[in-house]
Amino acid sequence: MKTVDIIQRAGRNLRRAKMRTFLTSVAIAIGGFAIMASLMVGEGARQYVDRIIKSNLDPNALMIAKDKRVTSAQVNGGGEDGLTEYNPNSMTRNGRDYETLTTKDIEVLRKRNDIKQVEPSYQVQPKYITFSQSKKKKYVGQVMMRDNTLQMEVAAGKSVASGDALANGEAIIPEIYAEKLGKSAQEMVGSKLNLVVTQQPQQASAATIQQVYATKGDAGVQELLKGKTLSKPFTIVAVAKKSPDQISSPSSVYINAHDAKNLSEFSTVGTSAHRKYFYVLATVKHGTPEEVRDRLNGSGYHAATAQDIQGVIFTFINILQGIVLGFGLLALVVSVFGIINTMYISVLERTQQIGLMKALGASRRDIGRLFRYEAAWVGFLGGAFGVLSAWGIGTLINPSISKSLGLGDNSLLIFQPGVGATVVLALVLVAIVAGWLPSRKAAKLDPVEALRTE
Amino acid sequence: MRVIRRYEYLVVKLLAVYKIYSKGKRCMIDIRHITKTYGKKKNVFTALKDINLQIKEGTSVAILGKSGSGKSTLMHAISGLDKPQQGEVLVGDKDILRLKPRATDKFRAREMGFIFQSFFVEGGETCYDNVSLALETAGVPRAGRKQRIIEALEAVDLGDKIKSRAKDLSGGQKQRLAVARAIVGRPKILFADEPTGNLDSTTSQVIEDLLFGYCKETEATLIIVTHDEDLAKRCQRIIYIKDGEVEKDSMSSRPVKSAKPSATKSPKKTTDKKTRSNTPARRAK
Repeated sequence: MKTVDIIQRAGRNLRRAKMRTFLTSVAIAIGGFAIMASLMVGEGARQYVDRIIKSNLDPNALMIAKDKRVTSAQVNGGGEDGLTEYNPNSMTRNGRDYETLTTKDIEVLRKRNDIKQVEPSYQVQPKYITFSQSKKKKYVGQVMMRDNTLQMEVAAGKSVASGDALANGEAIIPEIYAEKLGKSAQEMVGSKLNLVVTQQPQQASAATIQQVYATKGDAGVQELLKGKTLSKPFTIVAVAKKSPDQISSPSSVYINAHDAKNLSEFSTVGTSAHRKYFYVLATVKHGTPEEVRDRLNGSGYHAATAQDIQGVIFTFINILQGIVLGFGLLALVVSVFGIINTMYISVLERTQQIGLMKALGASRRDIGRLFRYEAAWVGFLGGAFGVLSAWGIGTLINPSISKSLGLGDNSLLIFQPGVGATVVLALVLVAIVAGWLPSRKAAKLDPVEALRTE
Repeated sequence: MRVIRRYEYLVVKLLAVYKIYSKGKRCMIDIRHITKTYGKKKNVFTALKDINLQIKEGTSVAILGKSGSGKSTLMHAISGLDKPQQGEVLVGDKDILRLKPRATDKFRAREMGFIFQSFFVEGGETCYDNVSLALETAGVPRAGRKQRIIEALEAVDLGDKIKSRAKDLSGGQKQRLAVARAIVGRPKILFADEPTGNLDSTTSQVIEDLLFGYCKETEATLIIVTHDEDLAKRCQRIIYIKDGEVEKDSMSSRPVKSAKPSATKSPKKTTDKKTRSNTPARRAK
């Protein structure tokens, strides 16, 4: 028999048993739906993260650290180390010890000719911030160094394109600060803010203390040992917009590297954190980021490219996606047994038809194919139904998901026709495999026995 | 160029000769020492006991016997549906019991037609699709099917039921549909297993006329398995089966059972050769 004939005959057989066909394919459809939905979520998340990375990280940027965990474990947490060897160059962050880069390392890195714009991450931890627009209160907030390679969407003030650097004494504040202060973004532009940092009390020699005591008395000594405070004024030049493409919507004050360095050095003088850095950012000068990374790794550093950082985030997404996919596969396994069961009953019911076909000269192979193609049809119908409903439901609920998760114009569920077609095809194959056992039974049926059945 | 032309001409001519030859090829049925048993060891039941028969092409034969006599088993053996433990069934020049299963199936699809007591038409399918099945199994190309199906349905007077579902037909109509399905492939041998067993006398008459009419027209062999003596009497030859043995054969009074293989072999071969060599030549003229 010709394949087309068998496919048509299989289709007609299914059409005659509409309810059964429908119910069997629903089982497959549920599996197909779950699988498709998980793939759509995965793709949506991946595209979203991709966009975030692109707008937050320069593809040519390298993150270089002394401690491997800074570049790899930073994002995904890493394991607990317990007791570690003391290292004078280590620094504690979030309760864990990290080996840091020293000024010597910075010098070494700056001398390299395959990277440029080597800039350590200056940690500025202001004691408090004051605003000229809100004179009475003091606020606590974060301060970050602006990465000049990135564009920043602004709500007011001067535009900040990629490559635009801030001048000394200039600052950008996020939109939420303006909201908190009850001012509009426009009102904030041009106003001032003060970053107040403190210095640890300096150790003074007995001679110095005696000298101060002699000249300024008791108050002088107290003043000397109290620790200094620096209040550095900045002019707000722009207000950064809340953007769904930012890793987190900007929530810190941005200043340039020079100011950050000054404040950081001032506040860390005399502490173990002085001139020690978790990581430095650099831009690749020659070659691909991967090549430079490998070279740096060979010379005692640990570097990560933008893609590496992306990969770490993707691992997380892949795990999530795997869980949904697992449920889909489970549903599919159940539906496979549904198909086997239904087809088996169908074979028993149709012994006569099988016997007649054999009498008319249909070969074993033809009979087997008839039942396998029926299974394939069920798989196709179920698969198409599941995938299309995943698409439809995805399109329907995308806007509300984006709204509730604050993704802006990004969609979480992204349907790719190619992936959809592949899923349908895979389900057809799964159904054929499920139909193999019943089809074998049908093919093996003795025609004489079958024709005797009344 | 000329040489190629000449070869081409030769090939075309050879093909034409082959076509005539294959069309004229006859399907004489020669059954030798067929024995069929069911069960094992102590419970052995012998359905057919060393049956020897020769059925000439174009004759109508009735295999008459009571139920359980082995007549249906004999029919199944002749058509290659069942495999007897011993013996051979030569149809034309092929031993269909020794062919590979696929070849047997192919042979059955192309050269044989079947009609059953309980019709075995697919109720949910249209008359058209029911008849089409026989052409599909025979591997007839799609293009040629429609015409043949309609012709077959018209031949059994179901021309107006092409699109009807088989389950909506009456019993007689269903059997007519089965006849259309059996003859659409223009088989050389037509098997009918109690074709009128489920029908009243008037519709039986119609079915009988159709079967005998087809065989007369196409010179096909008709083998009817029945316990109805009136139906059997319409056939040219009646073979009585009892307890798996040929009890009586209207063709010869001598007991067929004792015929030795060597005795049947030699005359059969010569006749076979004669028909083979004669037919194409006769047709070509």
